[in-house]
Amino acid sequence: MAVADFLITLVTFIAIYSLFGIGLNLKFGFTGLIDFGHVAYFMVGAYVTVVLTLPADAPTYGGIGGFDLPGLFAALGPLGSLFGWVLGVLGGMIAAALVSLAVGVPTLRLREDYLAITALGIATILNTVVKDEDWLFNGPYGISGVHKPLVDVFPISLGSFTVNMAVFGLLSVAIFGYVAYWLVNRFRDAGRTGRILMVASVGLVSVWYFVMPVVDGGGTVELTKNVLWLFDPTAGPNGGLDYDRFVLLLSLGFLAGGYHWVERTINSPYGRVLRAIREDEDVPQALGKETFQYKMQALMFGSALAGAAGALWAVNIGFVSPDQFASTITFFAFTAVIIGGTANNKGVILGTAVFWAIRNGTRFIDVPSQYSIQLAAARLILIGVILMVILYYRPEGLLGEQDYDIDLPTSLRGGSDDV
Amino acid sequence: MSEDSLVPSPEETILEVDGVEKHFGGITALDGVNLSVGPGITGLIGPNGAGKTTFFNCLTGFYTPEVGSIRFEGTDITGARPPAVAQQGMVRTFQIPRELSEMTVLENLLLAPPDQTGERLSGAWVRGDQFVEDELDVRERALEMADFFELDHLLDEPAGNLSGGQRKLLELARALLTDPEMVLLDEPLAGVNPTLEEKILERIHELEEQGYTFLFVEHDIDVIMEHCERVVVLHRGEVLTSGTPEEVQSDERVIEAYLGEVDV
Repeated sequence: MAVADFLITLVTFIAIYSLFGIGLNLKFGFTGLIDFGHVAYFMVGAYVTVVLTLPADAPTYGGIGGFDLPGLFAALGPLGSLFGWVLGVLGGMIAAALVSLAVGVPTLRLREDYLAITALGIATILNTVVKDEDWLFNGPYGISGVHKPLVDVFPISLGSFTVNMAVFGLLSVAIFGYVAYWLVNRFRDAGRTGRILMVASVGLVSVWYFVMPVVDGGGTVELTKNVLWLFDPTAGPNGGLDYDRFVLLLSLGFLAGGYHWVERTINSPYGRVLRAIREDEDVPQALGKETFQYKMQALMFGSALAGAAGALWAVNIGFVSPDQFASTITFFAFTAVIIGGTANNKGVILGTAVFWAIRNGTRFIDVPSQYSIQLAAARLILIGVILMVILYYRPEGLLGEQDYDIDLPTSLRGGSDDV
Repeated sequence: MSEDSLVPSPEETILEVDGVEKHFGGITALDGVNLSVGPGITGLIGPNGAGKTTFFNCLTGFYTPEVGSIRFEGTDITGARPPAVAQQGMVRTFQIPRELSEMTVLENLLLAPPDQTGERLSGAWVRGDQFVEDELDVRERALEMADFFELDHLLDEPAGNLSGGQRKLLELARALLTDPEMVLLDEPLAGVNPTLEEKILERIHELEEQGYTFLFVEHDIDVIMEHCERVVVLHRGEVLTSGTPEEVQSDERVIEAYLGEVDV
């Protein structure tokens, strides 16, 4: 497998878990709600979306549904069926939000640590219910044949092999260019330690991605594959953009949407109240804010984002089963949020990237097979050590809490107050 | 209380407390408090453990009294939740200042004003003209208040970096931005140096002239005597006496309450 393919899988993972983490950050980072049951909404989102988009007569499925939303709009062509899937995702998000509403009514009155434990218990119960009740979502057998939006359209081919290679190749290089430009800008803003860290990590990744394939004997073929990563020569007769790459772009699109949506929510008087609740709930209460409503809304919003991440997860894996939604997923997300920076949405993405790069990237380390179990354990040890080092030396995370700014047009009332 | 010539007439009464009781396990914190408060600055004194802070918590909804009723400007607010009490126009400060330490001074102030469009999820998402207008308006008011309390040079500072006295000022400024009718001050001068103390008292008098009502818990008897028009003494969960500072000061029961039984 070319390194590019691995990277595509990894970045898709990171995008999906970042969206999941941003939902958690809204609850935990900005509002101070320690929801140890966040994975439950990931599960609800995944299952509800899958069932809403599953054909009615799906083989080996004996649960509720399927409701085949994409089929309903299939007459409108591929875009209609995509619309059906998007409706399914919306359904999954709404279901996740509603489940969190039901969880929140009794638990949100509890103080932080009690809330955390109760949420963990509820998530475990929900998981067990899905696992044991076959009539609901097919129980432990899971659901295979998950609807994949637009899967028939792929691979996209624009014509001859050369045209495909040129167009998708140029796009790939352009994206590399943009990333490089972005990195240079970050480098300029960074402090000394930040610069050292950036040079080290970017250098390592570049060597691994661009130099190793050549040295390893893959030669220029492997290198070309890596550089022109959007172009898959083996997809279809003339090569083209394959479905995995589409899922990556789809996940990145969802992540961008979720990111901006949360940013808009946080950088507002509404976000101010959320942060006041996190700092000391009695204060906004004494000032006349109905804090319970705010906490409930933050919980539902965060859960809806987890639900959207679940829907993408199902598409990416193509199969859902209760085992995929163990509580460890919640704690992985907490780890990522704490590494990157609590109450910092960019930090969540960075933390998720660091976490999953270590967890999955170390698979490329060549060790004799009898040590593979040790390697798996060493991976978790490494993550644990990083977490401890960060909590000790930089408890606010790599990036720390983000800055807040409410965009106000300066034209009104002649100039802003510049504050 | 018969000697209290300053009990407000029914028309003037802003806050009326009738027989409020609050117990914690076997401890009786409030044992039937009766009190009416009219305009101006009313002092509330009493030895440690007299129930002053519990009384404030009952008034502002942080505790629910088991017996008795609380009426604020004619509305029954007994057992109302804290946000509802604040929305009615009665706001409190905390004995130990509770600044939101990771937020800036300005953000602390901007939090307070009621009914901001951007405080609702829909308002924050849509960002119409009303959103902008409200936010600019709130900013203007927050800056004015910061000026008034001489916090204007600290606006971008995290509130956690303020000195103890500045925190007291911030707490008061924040409370006033909620457009209250009545402000409950829980020891606003504790741990404040004399210069700042003068400043805070000066501010309170200015605000009184603007029509605010204050109920003021303080341990410094001199301050109470000098600045309050009327003083209420709380002792063992009951109102011991009330009246002008002079009346209260000469009342033997008050001296006993503070110093213990006096052998004659």
